[in-house]
Amino acid sequence: MFRLGYEMWTEKYRPRSLDDIVNQGEIVSRLKSFVKAKNVPHCIFAGPPGTGKTTAALCLAHDLYGEGYREYVMELNASDERGINVVRETVKTFARTRSIGEVSFKILILDEADNMTSDAQQALRRTMERYTETARFILIANYSGKIIEPIQSRCAPFRFTYLDREDVTKRIRYICEMEGIQILDEGVEAVLEIGGGDLRRTINILQTAASVGKPIDAETVYSVVGRANPYDVRDMMLTALNGDFVEARKKLREMILKYGLAGSDIIGQIHSEIYRLNVPDRWKVKLADIVGEIDYRLIQGSNEEIQLSALLAKLVEAGYDIKRGA
Amino acid sequence: MSEIIGNEEAKRKLREWVETWSKKAPKKKKALFIYGPPGTGKTVSVEALTNDLNMELVQSNASDYRTAEAVERFAGRASQYGTLFGKKRLILFDEIDGISGTEDRGGLHTITEIIKRTTSPIVLTANNAYDQRFTTLREHCELLEFKKPSRTEIEKHLKKICRLEGIEAEDSALRLIAERASGDVRSAVNDLQALAQGKKRLTYNDVSFLASRDRKEAIFNVLRDIFYARDSLTTKRAIEMADVDPEMLLEWVYENIPYHIKNPQELSSAMDMIALADIYRNRIRTTQNWSLMRYFLDFMTAGVAASWSKKAPGWVPFKFPTRISQMSTSKVDRAMLTAIGMKIKKRCHISSTRAIKEVLPYIRIMFQNNKEMKKGISEWLDLDEEMVDYIIGGGTS
Repeated sequence: MFRLGYEMWTEKYRPRSLDDIVNQGEIVSRLKSFVKAKNVPHCIFAGPPGTGKTTAALCLAHDLYGEGYREYVMELNASDERGINVVRETVKTFARTRSIGEVSFKILILDEADNMTSDAQQALRRTMERYTETARFILIANYSGKIIEPIQSRCAPFRFTYLDREDVTKRIRYICEMEGIQILDEGVEAVLEIGGGDLRRTINILQTAASVGKPIDAETVYSVVGRANPYDVRDMMLTALNGDFVEARKKLREMILKYGLAGSDIIGQIHSEIYRLNVPDRWKVKLADIVGEIDYRLIQGSNEEIQLSALLAKLVEAGYDIKRGA
Repeated sequence: MSEIIGNEEAKRKLREWVETWSKKAPKKKKALFIYGPPGTGKTVSVEALTNDLNMELVQSNASDYRTAEAVERFAGRASQYGTLFGKKRLILFDEIDGISGTEDRGGLHTITEIIKRTTSPIVLTANNAYDQRFTTLREHCELLEFKKPSRTEIEKHLKKICRLEGIEAEDSALRLIAERASGDVRSAVNDLQALAQGKKRLTYNDVSFLASRDRKEAIFNVLRDIFYARDSLTTKRAIEMADVDPEMLLEWVYENIPYHIKNPQELSSAMDMIALADIYRNRIRTTQNWSLMRYFLDFMTAGVAASWSKKAPGWVPFKFPTRISQMSTSKVDRAMLTAIGMKIKKRCHISSTRAIKEVLPYIRIMFQNNKEMKKGISEWLDLDEEMVDYIIGGGTS
């Protein structure tokens, strides 16, 4: 039946079981072994947004507890529930009651764990220790470097990476088929470009483009999404190369604050743009090296805007060098 | 005297000393040396006391200490001769810290002589009685210390003034003024007057700039030292002296670098320093190892300072780090957005904060484009009519 959008497609097409997850092969097989053993350690799921961390956690719970899994799972977000006391009280209450059934513990999914203050994280660590019999924690974060070491050492680490382009493309086409939507190849390309590696964003863009009601082409995609297109990154880099640091930084700030782009998104795009820049090879290499360094720093948990600004400053320097004929 | 706050004990002693003063008492000292920080009520206590006791007060000016002749002129006669109306007299040498070096030493010596032969009580005031210059002088004086009144005492005093002046003031406003005064009653009262003048009501908002003004000034000074100091040691010292929040300072420096450092290579170096400072900031945060603070501070101050040649492009004002100011959404907007965010959160396994930033913009466009989607999704999310209108109306996040 041709029914558009009675739900958000991100939820409608979210995998329910570990078997449904197409990507993150190694992670999925490890999680499956947990299910088999009916035992789950504390975990940290780390990686860029939209790469399936929450989905993996929910699927794990589903496979572990069956259809009624919601009773045994609690989801918390660090940004909504800030502060030590909230963590303590909520988790305490949840973790205190034993679960009835084969699996003796419950699962607590704590999203945006890297946003928690260190104090809150300390409190969390103690709570994790105290209730480890009855509750297992799955911490979800973009940057595992922002999680304090005592917690990291108590958790099994899982690194989520950006999804394969082909897998995302397949997914886009699959959803369109199910929803009875027509999409052109260029439309798929456009959705992929803007979505970056973030599957949630990709599907949201797809659904938004579909809301227009006609076959999806590139123009439709770009028009609905407005100015959130990849050429902003290139534009920002060119502005820096031309010597206007302040303006370039302004664009960077806008991307992060207004459009909610993650540092990892921006770095990824910068990396691909470097090779297309009109600069001598010597500088391309230098810049690529710096990009790598800054990417690492971001993973470690440094501030996105500040680190990326340092990169912009290097671009300014490059532009200056080139103009002088060096 | 009762109107002067704090130092109850000291005031009592002062009064007692003056009342029992007699030119004939051999054992007692003829002069009283009151000392303490500025604005603690030293001078005004003496003035009030003489008023209460109906005494004649002969009060000096700073210029009266210049030379021996000046002192003699001012106090010599006053200390010897009786008053016109038969009142008792008190001589006050106020703020004698003002006496400087060699020229005035004559003055100090003369004061000492005058004290020896005076027929009226003499009071001196200074910030620091134990200054070297006053060693001889002290031997002839009784010492009395006035301490800084506590913040609470100042607050009470301000409250009283407000009551008398018919001003309704918020407790928190008075507290901030009292805090900022750091024990200096005079300055607190001056601030109160300046801020409350002509007002019927004084709120915290009216005075809140006091808090930021101070901090802003402290930050400006450090920024000046970072961007324009002669050497990096000066810069390092600057931040140690300043009462400035290091994280805040980082934001200020980061924001202002490109406006002061124009040369691209120097800009690049300076930004590298800030980036390093940021790395340490994060390391401190995750390891809780506060000894790393020194590196954080070093990079952000001396590091940046050393990065450039300080060819100042004329006077450039310091800009406020806009990055840290929240996007200005009104209370109503925020409440609505949060409510909508919570609805999305329930269904989409995402925090309400992220929901507003990352999902809502798409929902808005969907709603604007497609009636069916709008109906379906609002039901699914359990949005009420007001929320839907808000979303479509484009209340921006």
